[in-house]
Amino acid sequence: MAFLGVFVFAGVGGESEGLEANSNDYYSSTNLADGWIYSANLDRGFLDEVYTLGPTTEMERQLVVDSVANFSNDPEITLHFVENNTISKFYLIKGEPLNISDSDGVWLDKSFADAKNIKVGDNITFEFNGFKIEKEIKGIGYSPEYVYHASKSSVIPDFSKLGFAYMSYKAFPSEIVPYNVLNVKFDGTAETFSSLLSEKMDGKYNSFVERSEHTSVSQFSEEMDQHQMMAGIFPVVFILIAMLILLTTMTRIITHQRTQIGILKACGFRDISIMFHYVSYGFWLVLAGSILGLIIGPLTLPKLFYPSMSATYILPSWKPAWSMDFFYVALAMIMMSILVSYYAVKSIFNEKPADTIKPKAPKVSSSGMIEKLGLWNRLSFNTRWNYRDTKRNKFRALMTIIGVIGCTALLVSAFGMYDGMNDLKEWEFNQINHYDSKLVIDEEASISEIDNVAKEVNGDKIMENSIEIESDSAKKSGSLLVLNHTDLVTPTDYDWNKIKIEDDEISISQKMADMLDVGVGDTVKWHIMGSDKWVKTKINKIHADPTSQGLIMSSDKLEELDLNYTPTGIVTTEHIDRNYSTIKTTNSMNDMTSSWDELTEAMWLLIYILIFFASLLAVVVLYNLGLLSFTEIEREIATLKVLGFKTGALRKLLLTQNLWFTTIGFLLGIPVGYYILKVMWESSGDSFYILPSISLTNIILTAAITFSLSIFVNLMFSRKIKKLDMVESLKSSE
Amino acid sequence: MSTIIEFKNVDKIYNSGNHILKAMDNVNFKINKGEFVIILGPSGAGKSTLLNLLGGLDTLTSGEIIVNGNHVEKFSDNQLTGYRAKNVGFIFQFYNLIPNLTALENIELMKDIADVNINGLDVLDSVGLKDHANQFPAQLSGGEQQRVSIARAVAKQPTMLLCDEPTGALDSKTGVLILKLLQDMSNNKETTVIIVTHNAILAEAADKVIRIKNGQIESISVNDNPKKVTELEW
Repeated sequence: MAFLGVFVFAGVGGESEGLEANSNDYYSSTNLADGWIYSANLDRGFLDEVYTLGPTTEMERQLVVDSVANFSNDPEITLHFVENNTISKFYLIKGEPLNISDSDGVWLDKSFADAKNIKVGDNITFEFNGFKIEKEIKGIGYSPEYVYHASKSSVIPDFSKLGFAYMSYKAFPSEIVPYNVLNVKFDGTAETFSSLLSEKMDGKYNSFVERSEHTSVSQFSEEMDQHQMMAGIFPVVFILIAMLILLTTMTRIITHQRTQIGILKACGFRDISIMFHYVSYGFWLVLAGSILGLIIGPLTLPKLFYPSMSATYILPSWKPAWSMDFFYVALAMIMMSILVSYYAVKSIFNEKPADTIKPKAPKVSSSGMIEKLGLWNRLSFNTRWNYRDTKRNKFRALMTIIGVIGCTALLVSAFGMYDGMNDLKEWEFNQINHYDSKLVIDEEASISEIDNVAKEVNGDKIMENSIEIESDSAKKSGSLLVLNHTDLVTPTDYDWNKIKIEDDEISISQKMADMLDVGVGDTVKWHIMGSDKWVKTKINKIHADPTSQGLIMSSDKLEELDLNYTPTGIVTTEHIDRNYSTIKTTNSMNDMTSSWDELTEAMWLLIYILIFFASLLAVVVLYNLGLLSFTEIEREIATLKVLGFKTGALRKLLLTQNLWFTTIGFLLGIPVGYYILKVMWESSGDSFYILPSISLTNIILTAAITFSLSIFVNLMFSRKIKKLDMVESLKSSE
Repeated sequence: MSTIIEFKNVDKIYNSGNHILKAMDNVNFKINKGEFVIILGPSGAGKSTLLNLLGGLDTLTSGEIIVNGNHVEKFSDNQLTGYRAKNVGFIFQFYNLIPNLTALENIELMKDIADVNINGLDVLDSVGLKDHANQFPAQLSGGEQQRVSIARAVAKQPTMLLCDEPTGALDSKTGVLILKLLQDMSNNKETTVIIVTHNAILAEAADKVIRIKNGQIESISVNDNPKKVTELEW
């Protein structure tokens, strides 16, 4: 039990700790920028000004442009022309280190290179802004700015369609490099730096992105948050139950040794040596279990998660990490086992040895309320016996019920997560989005070109942008969706009912409204990322969306607010596999759902692991407590058997109690599971919105597992009843 | 009087690894209906083994045990359970009452096992414990517990009462009361009572005394004029 508890705790913990440690190592070894200043005019004067802000410690300019590489699927490669690459350094895997005086070389994204089977020494051609450059690949590796890299149209990366490449500024085809990004490192908080920047240099730059807002960093840290959340809830529930069971078992084992302790005492053993014997007995077992758990947990469990995660995120190493917390938990477990054995033995010492030698007098049953009712006499022997037995062993009953609550709660929340993940997929890809293909429009495309394509594919234009929304109480980043009477994208409420957002209305998503603490009729302030024009708008409606939180409005409304309507995509029911010059990429619904499945693989895995361990927990809890109570009532069972009770009736006797406890634990476990589920979803990141729900199937499945485990454990005991030696059990009064 | 119990050439061999113990060696005896039988012998002579075989708690190695014309040695486990439920009333040295049930409930429990229609209170009354009906075993004295135990055993109107050192855990005064109760059962209700003990004094009160030693019958004697238990010199 100690092993199991520490194993799960340290295993799941080691996974999330590992993510954090690996990414931190990676970020610091590659000197990831603290912030990025975007500006079209990064001249010497600008740099001086940034430097004189005070906190700035390092700066480096880059030109970041999107290009298309020479492959049949027109992959989108983000090119970085760097000044010296001391900040956000390229992490080399193969080839030679990035050489700043090399004008012919390119250092390419390893994931892209792998997807395309490109090697060091190959040549590659990029087209961008009318330029066409051909370079030799000198190195392949990773970049800390691309732990997570997905195109604007899809949350899931497809490494054959996109990538990045680093080059020296000398490789740029023109003398003057139009730098557009300034990587900065600074002391102090990003907030201070950001406010200094906006105060001193307002208007001279387009935007400033701090590290925690950077897409790659924030996406990965959101993922880590989710993992930490899981590491925070489930293993804790688990270890609490493990401790509970451990402690009950130890107390009872010692109580069973009562006469033995009395005899040892009577023989003249000193208290201290008896104490030492019994305390060390539990201590060594718990110690061994904990150490094994500490070692095996982090070594095995993370290995289950990392493969699916590394399909989405790019880190140079995936190693589980060890945290002192695990050690403390194990230590607490050991300390508690010592304490509990100490007090159990101590309480026996407090009696006179003469009393201790004899078995403890049975607890006196008493008649309570229920017996006084006339109904009592009509109850069967089975019910009466079990009722009184429970009453006499309240502690055992409580422990069993808590164990079952734990198991049920874990199962309910695991199945709830399973349902939630499926709901989310159904909601997003069937209830809201009804198109077959989504064409992502090139930023350079003109309105008429877009209209032509839209007409040709019979599609509707949509506009999707990142925005920042502010209310009186909070500021959050979110998304803006501009729709024009399309029935291919239909916003819904939280019950999946379609809702109509009128031309002059603005709707906010439920989760965003909750986060900003606003409702219909309130006013929010927002701006599109990359522009500093803030607008104030009143909220007319609230919609719900599982994956994107923000505002929805019509193009008329957008223009009424004096903002430019620039469509970013075209959605159509046709399956598009042609290429258009104005279209950057085309994503089909199939691509999106299958990448969604890939993204959620880690979650599924976690769910399965949870179900497995919850079941294991139930078996251990029920068996353990069942075994202890069986030894306690063995004599009674033997008597009943001698008196002529059939094995079946005796089995039923034990089963009845088991079923009572299981039923109570099960009923109480459901709300607990619901609560765990709620906490899980609420902490699943700002962009996800899933309502915790427990389906009937969930309850039936959980009931089936819990009760069949309960009956399974009972069957193990009926074998014991059959084998019970009546003669032996009756011989002495012990 | 008719023979109700018969042991024919009964052997019982315990075989634990390479250690073989012959606990019953060619045992033969007959017991008649309503007899008050004492089985005497030193510890380890095989008294308990005999009782266990007769009570259907253990199976013999060879031979025959005939009770009411039925061959007990041929019973299956299930049949043995039924046999114990209907024919045998056990009285143990340590009473073995169910601690979770009151005195009355311990007796009425028998309704669940044997198809008998009894009034638990009447049975308790017959052992003089009507006033303690709603007390739990732990609230009763040893003698009272043993009386409840006897009441429980007779409640199902068994063919025989098997008593294993029924007074072993009681003081002599209480012991006499218990034995008197058992003797009365045998005399008044024609219940066959078989008591296993190492206390030779009891022999004078028995209708029949079976002495065993080393797993064998040493002697079987019949008292034509058994004394009352209360007349014995303790």
